[in-house]
Amino acid sequence: MSAPLITLHGARKAFGARVVLEIERLSVEDGGAYVLVGPNGSGKTTLMRILAGLDRDADGEMDFRGERAAFASYPERLRRAIVYVHQHPYLFHTSLRHNLEYGLKRRGLPAAERARRVEEAIAWAGLEPRRATPPEKLSGGEKQRAALARARALEPELLLLDEPTSSLDREGRAQTLALLAQLRDERRTVIVACHDQEIIALPGFTRLRLEDGRIALQSG
Amino acid sequence: MDLLEPTRQAFALLLSGDPRLLQAIWLSLWVSVGAIALVAAPSVALGFLLAKKQFPGQRAAVVLVQALLSFPTVVIGLVIYLLLSRRGPLGSLDLLFTPWAIMIGYMVIAFPILVVFTLSAVQGADPRVYETARSLGAGRSRASLTTLWEVRFGILAAVVNGFGRAVSEVGCAIMVGGNIEGLTRNIPTAIALETTKGEFSQGIALGFVLMVVALGVNILLALLQGRGGLR
Repeated sequence: MSAPLITLHGARKAFGARVVLEIERLSVEDGGAYVLVGPNGSGKTTLMRILAGLDRDADGEMDFRGERAAFASYPERLRRAIVYVHQHPYLFHTSLRHNLEYGLKRRGLPAAERARRVEEAIAWAGLEPRRATPPEKLSGGEKQRAALARARALEPELLLLDEPTSSLDREGRAQTLALLAQLRDERRTVIVACHDQEIIALPGFTRLRLEDGRIALQSG
Repeated sequence: MDLLEPTRQAFALLLSGDPRLLQAIWLSLWVSVGAIALVAAPSVALGFLLAKKQFPGQRAAVVLVQALLSFPTVVIGLVIYLLLSRRGPLGSLDLLFTPWAIMIGYMVIAFPILVVFTLSAVQGADPRVYETARSLGAGRSRASLTTLWEVRFGILAAVVNGFGRAVSEVGCAIMVGGNIEGLTRNIPTAIALETTKGEFSQGIALGFVLMVVALGVNILLALLQGRGGLR
């Protein structure tokens, strides 16, 4: 068993008296692939957003490679390590290349390395024929693949994908599933929140089941 | 009243390159462009802050800026006049009845337009823009700039509207500029003066130029929006 990449301690989020997430302890192994399942409102997106530092109004802490941090004071360093992809990903209204390069620039990578990773991302997502297409004209599946490629190009230590197939047609789902399987094979640490039975059934993904904001089941 | 003859004379004046006419046009343009160039950045920044940051008095600040939108320009002119007049607190700067005084007035007039348009554009921005930028590793400032870039056509509309309001403003320009020929007479003040003198041809010619300028900047905005996808 690998060492945990992240361990959550006492993660809790409430809206007034209504507790939407309460996890005493949860560990995510380095290089592990996870599916986070559960009914609507069970806290999947809330957990993903807390992990990504997008919801700092939560109690609790996490150990990231042994470094402890409270959710409320999410360290900027973790933003470079953990990348979150929305259920309906947003692509900036520029070019596909600029979208893929955005996070690479923020990390200060040299131009040659950025260009190499952008080309690799375009090829990985199968978007070569669409490289000159404005992002807003891409199909739902292409947007999802572009967003996955944009996140993967950053080589994050943890990739959080929120319902990546929820609004896709059959072809888009099949292509996204193939990319998820690749992420698993590449030993990327990835958590996929989903309802999609095909993702849930993907071999090699550990299932985390959330019910009423609590981890009800963890199975490999 | 016969409109044809003054209109014919107006175009004859324009084509003849009448120096008084050209001077008024030039003054209008550089003072308006200068005012917008100076006030745009701080106004856009304030509009962004009012839209994104929560602080005590935020709502009151928004209401105040919105109220400034409907302030009569002559009142703005009066306040600036009092500030810049010889006995006023800024009298030593000797700016009254100069193009710089008009520029200050235009800045004050364009300020709430730029702030409110920016506020509205940023509030209408998809919240995923900022979150996506942050999640891809952008700091707060960079993510804010990215948000502004995503609503750039709304910001551009703010700038165009601010310019349109400034270039066509008359009350404040007369009060703080004095409508001095060759120095502070611009298109709108010249139209007002020439019309009261019964010199309709000058007024029509200048009015035509003003409409061409307004139409031109709006066509430019529409073209840019069309290229980037009107949203």
